[in-house]
Amino acid sequence: MSNLQFFRRLRVAASLLLLSLASLQAHAQAELNISGAQVRGIPIAIVPFKVLDGSELEHQIHDVVSFDLAASGKFEPIAAQDYLSNPSRNEDVQWKDWRFIDAEVLVIGEVWTLGPDNYEVQFQMYDIAREQRIGNGKRISGLSMKDLRTAAHVISDNVYQEFTGGAGAYQSRMAYVTRSEIEYQRYRYRLMVSDWDGYGAKEVYSSWNPLLSPDWSPDSQQLAFVGFSAKGPIVQTIDLRTLETQTIAEFKGVNSAPAWSPDGSKIAYSASRNGSPDIYVYDVLTRQHTRISTHYGIDTEPSWSPRGDSFLFTSSRTGKPQVYSYSINDETVSRMTFEGDESANASYNFNGNSIVMVHEGGQIAVMIEETSRITMLTNAKFDESPSFSPNGDMVLYKSEQQYEPAFMVASSDGRVRTRLSLVSGDVREPAWSPLRK
Amino acid sequence: MNRKLGLIMTVLMGLVLTACASKPEPVVEAVKAPVVTETPQVDNNAFDSGYSVSDLTSQFGISGDPLNYKVLYFKYNSSAIDERSRIIAVRHAQHLSGQSGTRVNLEGHADERGTRDFNLALGERRAQTVAQLMSTAGANSTIETISYGEERPVDAAHTEASWQANRRVEIKY
Repeated sequence: MSNLQFFRRLRVAASLLLLSLASLQAHAQAELNISGAQVRGIPIAIVPFKVLDGSELEHQIHDVVSFDLAASGKFEPIAAQDYLSNPSRNEDVQWKDWRFIDAEVLVIGEVWTLGPDNYEVQFQMYDIAREQRIGNGKRISGLSMKDLRTAAHVISDNVYQEFTGGAGAYQSRMAYVTRSEIEYQRYRYRLMVSDWDGYGAKEVYSSWNPLLSPDWSPDSQQLAFVGFSAKGPIVQTIDLRTLETQTIAEFKGVNSAPAWSPDGSKIAYSASRNGSPDIYVYDVLTRQHTRISTHYGIDTEPSWSPRGDSFLFTSSRTGKPQVYSYSINDETVSRMTFEGDESANASYNFNGNSIVMVHEGGQIAVMIEETSRITMLTNAKFDESPSFSPNGDMVLYKSEQQYEPAFMVASSDGRVRTRLSLVSGDVREPAWSPLRK
Repeated sequence: MNRKLGLIMTVLMGLVLTACASKPEPVVEAVKAPVVTETPQVDNNAFDSGYSVSDLTSQFGISGDPLNYKVLYFKYNSSAIDERSRIIAVRHAQHLSGQSGTRVNLEGHADERGTRDFNLALGERRAQTVAQLMSTAGANSTIETISYGEERPVDAAHTEASWQANRRVEIKY
């Protein structure tokens, strides 16, 4: 073999080695991304609930519970076809059946028909790892057929609370806006309220003009939102019990982005009545409007901290939109976001240590407040309107799937993304409610 | 007669040649000269724009009176008025200088990028910038601004072209 041939072969061999090393590394990295993201969900088995008179239920309780728990990323439901037995009562539970499929949590139950459209749901939880039955089971009674979904969410909350120690968010709701073309280029906008998962949507307000920015009052009895008068965008509220609306701000120019303070006594919003869009605070009791920011840049999208002593807002004061914080006591503004060109529409989770926002015009990102560390929840271009679940473990946002608007829920660590397929059509502006009080 | 025909032929030949080859032929140069003398004096301030009619077309795509244009376009995230928009807005302002009774509505819009509330503010800012320019330029009318943000796009596609079309102020009166 000539020297030249030898070196050629060596080079080929070396490049092959490099190639395989590269692919090996890529593989290892991919695995790291999956297993390295702190924890996987708790493997849970939810046995299809036995319906005692055998009648067909409109909603399968185990499906709803399974969907609920999976969306949080904290549980990983095991498919029902893998179960070795389908117990509905305590005496039928065999530990080995559940250890065999690596379940750590088991939920079983029954649906009893007590009369016409009168149901009772019983359920029990098990800690398989410890071979422990949790309590003596629970029952939810006085249910009509349409309440069965709510009962399922109650079960989800119970399981969540038992195995994570935190409050579940499954009885919360969402508000959103739909647009439908009634005749050519003539649209009807509807403000909707549904269960957290999009089920049971009801129209609470509608208009021929755009509606946007719904924001829940802390007692979840009212919504503030942006509608239009003939002169432009105005801030309104609606009482969900009476469906009565009230106009909060209809000053000259733009009035938008309402945000209820955590104690419900104030509504912060953005208005351009003094020329440039600034943040104002409306006092619900005295009906006084106080101007807070005075910068010539665009200031909008206020969102209160859980303690109500500061609010985040979006400002273009340095050119492109970034997130700032205004301290009520110090009357000072500090910049919160420095990464990337644009950050906007930020809001806190319930304990104020995390901020969700729209990054670079269309990605959802979560920032840990203390470290300013940003994690991308999505890598799309047109994701918007993010809001935390009331317990902070999920983020609801509007996305696009196959060129159609879609509502998505991501676990706050970005590991799990779930589409809320019960919501469809031209939907936008989802807003997650607080927990019902 | 023959000489005239010959000249026409030469001109045509010349045109064909320039069309085929990129090098200008001397024949064409010779023909061009008389054409120039026949054109009337170029008005370098057509419609008080500060430009000639042909410059309006070639530089700004404005053919004829800028008054016929009622939509001004903007760059992403900007409310700055470019030269084309300035020409059109000023022309409308001059036209409106004697019409104090006319109500002018400036509708500001944004593209879908960025958040909805920010875009409401951005649309407002664009409309305000145009309103200010028109007032300065002599519009005597009542000028109202309204922002629709990204809520009323003229083109719903996710393309540069549709975004450009949507970043606009519409002059309505």
